Amino acid sequence: MRQVTRLLAAGLLLAGLSVPAAAATPERVQVTGEVIDTWCYITDIMFGEGSTHHQCALWCAVGGIPVGVLGDDGEVYMVLKVGDDTTNVANPAILEIQTHRVSVDGDLYERDGIKYLLIDQVVNDEGIVNVNHDDFGIQPFGE
Amino acid sequence: MKRALTLGALALAFFASQPAAQAAQGWGLPEEEEVRFDATVVDVLCELTSDCPDNCGNGTRQLGLLDGEGVLHFVHKNFTPFTGASWELQDFCGKMVTADGLFTTNKGYRIFVLQFVREGADGKWQRANRFTGQWAEKNGVAADSKEAKQWFRNDPEVQRLIDEDGVFGLGADADKAYFEANQ
Repeated sequence: MRQVTRLLAAGLLLAGLSVPAAAATPERVQVTGEVIDTWCYITDIMFGEGSTHHQCALWCAVGGIPVGVLGDDGEVYMVLKVGDDTTNVANPAILEIQTHRVSVDGDLYERDGIKYLLIDQVVNDEGIVNVNHDDFGIQPFGE
Repeated sequence: MKRALTLGALALAFFASQPAAQAAQGWGLPEEEEVRFDATVVDVLCELTSDCPDNCGNGTRQLGLLDGEGVLHFVHKNFTPFTGASWELQDFCGKMVTADGLFTTNKGYRIFVLQFVREGADGKWQRANRFTGQWAEKNGVAADSKEAKQWFRNDPEVQRLIDEDGVFGLGADADKAYFEANQ
């Protein structure tokens, strides 16, 4: 299959059409973890997990910052698709599950140190279970 | 701890409001690198899967920067508070640009903050802060208004979500209990 794809890509290139340079084969995965704002979490500019950060996570998601799933394995999975919707900037379905603990089925692509997750289905949604605002207040401004 | 984090966030908001100068400006991020490099603007999902809508999805797709060595850099952030970079790069879909900004590496991930961008080697520099103006136009307010500068507190979609589930996402009772205990 991969050889067929390469031949097809080579044919398109010869025909003068552009194709992505490195379409890869994904790994089928199920990931369980918390839906997070990846910017605040990765950079540690504030405490970026749980109910304390929920409002900020909504701001960032609506503002177009990539949303991810912080897996129980500690890895950050950048979400590029949910169901049939390939919108991944301010995706309405993602906004509805921000900060929730979820289990999702999907395809995992790894490229240059980043894990990209294409979710086919949210198979379990526990809602927000990381309740930590009594410890950390409202991040980042306290209101 | 809480105070330090809040000061950090305020510092970022301050840096984001400073006058333009076409050179990366440090934000004090982990393992921060001030960089300028040439790259092609790509739709990340398209790059991975060959699912490629016209014009990189017209603002609906996360965009990346594919450098000359074939490395795909995931662009996380622009120059305004709480906003990403897709809208800043949208006009350059499929084009070669010079990107100026910051790499930060933490927790094993290296991501990019776009601060300035120009098309090609001699295009006009643009500051990566166009989100606010676009939000203002969409919401019928002036780009320099208080509402636009604090877009995140005034965005109708954010307000709808907060009205539904509260600032903690746990409902109105959780908000009430917190605010009563922390007056």
